[in-house]
Amino acid sequence: MAAAVRFSNVGKKFRRGAVHESLRDLLASTGRRIIGREVQSKRPTFWALRNLEFEIAPGEALGIIGPNGAGKSTALKLLAGILRADEGTINVNGRLAALIEVNAGMHGDLTGMENIFLTGAIMGMTRAEIKSKLDDIIEFSGIGEFIHTPVKRYSTGMQARLGFSTAAHVSPDVLLVDEVLSVGDVAFRHRCEERMREMVASGVALIFVTHNLEQMRSICHRTLVLDGGKSAFVGSPADAVGHYLKATMTRVGEMSYVDNPRTGKTDGRVLAMKFLANDGREVECVHPTEPLTMQIDFELDRDVERLTVETALRRDGGEMMVSLNSRHQGITFKAPAGRHDVRIDLPAFPLGGGNYFAIVRLWDADRSELLAETPYKFMLQVDDQGKGTGLLSLPHEWSALRTIEPIVANQTHAAEEIPCL
Amino acid sequence: MYATSAANPFTELIRYRQLLASLIWRDLRVRYKQSMLGMAWAVLLPMSMMLIFTFVFTRAVKVVGGLDITMPYPLFAYTGLVPWTFFSASLLGSVNSLVANRNLVTKVYFPREVFPFSSIGSAFADFFIAGSVLVGLIGYFHFFTRWTFVPSAAIAFLPIVVLVQMTFTAGLGMLLAMANLFYRDVRQLLGVAIQLWMFLTCVVYPIKNDGSWWGIVAVCNPMTPIIKAYRQCILEGTIPAGGAFASACVTAVCTFVLGWWAFRKMSHKFAECI
Repeated sequence: MAAAVRFSNVGKKFRRGAVHESLRDLLASTGRRIIGREVQSKRPTFWALRNLEFEIAPGEALGIIGPNGAGKSTALKLLAGILRADEGTINVNGRLAALIEVNAGMHGDLTGMENIFLTGAIMGMTRAEIKSKLDDIIEFSGIGEFIHTPVKRYSTGMQARLGFSTAAHVSPDVLLVDEVLSVGDVAFRHRCEERMREMVASGVALIFVTHNLEQMRSICHRTLVLDGGKSAFVGSPADAVGHYLKATMTRVGEMSYVDNPRTGKTDGRVLAMKFLANDGREVECVHPTEPLTMQIDFELDRDVERLTVETALRRDGGEMMVSLNSRHQGITFKAPAGRHDVRIDLPAFPLGGGNYFAIVRLWDADRSELLAETPYKFMLQVDDQGKGTGLLSLPHEWSALRTIEPIVANQTHAAEEIPCL
Repeated sequence: MYATSAANPFTELIRYRQLLASLIWRDLRVRYKQSMLGMAWAVLLPMSMMLIFTFVFTRAVKVVGGLDITMPYPLFAYTGLVPWTFFSASLLGSVNSLVANRNLVTKVYFPREVFPFSSIGSAFADFFIAGSVLVGLIGYFHFFTRWTFVPSAAIAFLPIVVLVQMTFTAGLGMLLAMANLFYRDVRQLLGVAIQLWMFLTCVVYPIKNDGSWWGIVAVCNPMTPIIKAYRQCILEGTIPAGGAFASACVTAVCTFVLGWWAFRKMSHKFAECI
């Protein structure tokens, strides 16, 4: 099947600094151009995007992630035809709808209903098409009786919902979504995700740009990581998230860090945090059901009578998932100045698949003084082999009483070894 | 399959005609929403201008020998002011249309011509309303003064005159909208230029080519034969024949072609330069 979207060697450059020259400069340079003299632009250019190549098949969802300024929005604008590439070609097969800024065309003085027609027209729908979908749009937005109220009296969330609902009912072949789902309440966001999945299932090619990694992972089949205008990684969403976070978190880790923010002087340093498998081997990736040991290496500049060690893990740099503090177990360490390590043994690590980032803090329990603290920079990947997308992988067993009989599928244990390599 | 860089401008515009209609409708809706008099403003503006100029030329200033016109002055002024208001409102709307819709220009793709065209479209609606009042005005002067109105088939020529004016306006509107996007000075300049242009056109007084530089400038101005043509086919019952109107037609078409060509050529830069 033909690709729905194809980027071949696409590049886009911008000029640095103000785009507007003064009218005088323009006249002067035009004059010189007319008499055939070469005019050199004073402002340097830079490539916002370079050598970008990718393809999306119909019915495929591609996520694009990357730090701010990586070129994500530029790529979408090129695709939407708002900007023109300076290099390479972009092919789009079929009708394209962009949910880049769904409220761009809305006018506060018009009612919700009037704005549906306006936004719909801006998105390329015909009046007849909008009319036939009007009830669905209104229902989807959940605006209800306020549909005849001017939009300027709506809350921000309501406006966004109205815009998205209209745009979600365009029937495109290619759909671009850029960060529009960050507004709206949880229920609405959920409905939007469902809607996108439905569209993808019906053969729409989706390009989804977001900073919400969880959402991206639950919707996309494949993910492209952009960094500095270049494609840094293409692959499964989980791997892409890992790649992206590792790159950005390392950057955070490299930033200077005051070990003791309160006194400004350094009493200790965390040297490393290692994750060890059952056999003592250091790993970057674990299975939720297998035992895990965390080892923290640190160095103290002075004797500490009662040292407590604390670590905490965030998932994808987002939710705080685990916080382990030795004091909560009634344990403190008597530690003289010098290098030490402490270990935390876990019988299993029953968290959902994803990337976790750990922080370490060392405390002097007697003085309630923070001795050292790291940023969230120690990464651990959990691979649940795509068994679920939840936050936890709980140990559990299925069974049935009398009426039906469970049939156990052949488990391929060989496959379990591969993803961690 | 299409590459996003090249698409036929005609088919594209046809595809987006409903968007054009929606934007015109939005402009009108918004303009008259929170106003008490609403659409009446379309009539009140040229009407008040007419009254002002009637006062100026018949009471305040006595023109030597009187103005050389064959109809009551208020009718003369109104038939000039209504198309002129259409012209100036279209241009003033167009010049700002891209910048005012910056949100759409930078976020959504559709042919950018839609913006200046929709300004002209919404000005046309006002023009239509103000124009229909002319019927009442003609009736008044026919029944209550010595002037008599002679109906004539020449009125069938009116749509052509309107079309020529719109073609000219659209071409100019695209050029101005584009220029204003790069240099915001254009909008300020246009305000002054339109004032001056009005007095170089036979809007509130007749202009004859008397061979002086001023007469030549005024006659070369394509708006002069166009405004004149309105009076000819509505009130005088003659078809605007002769070289002046024909050359205005040519100017209009050339302006439009030039404007559209330049606009299409530059439109991919709008989003980054706005």
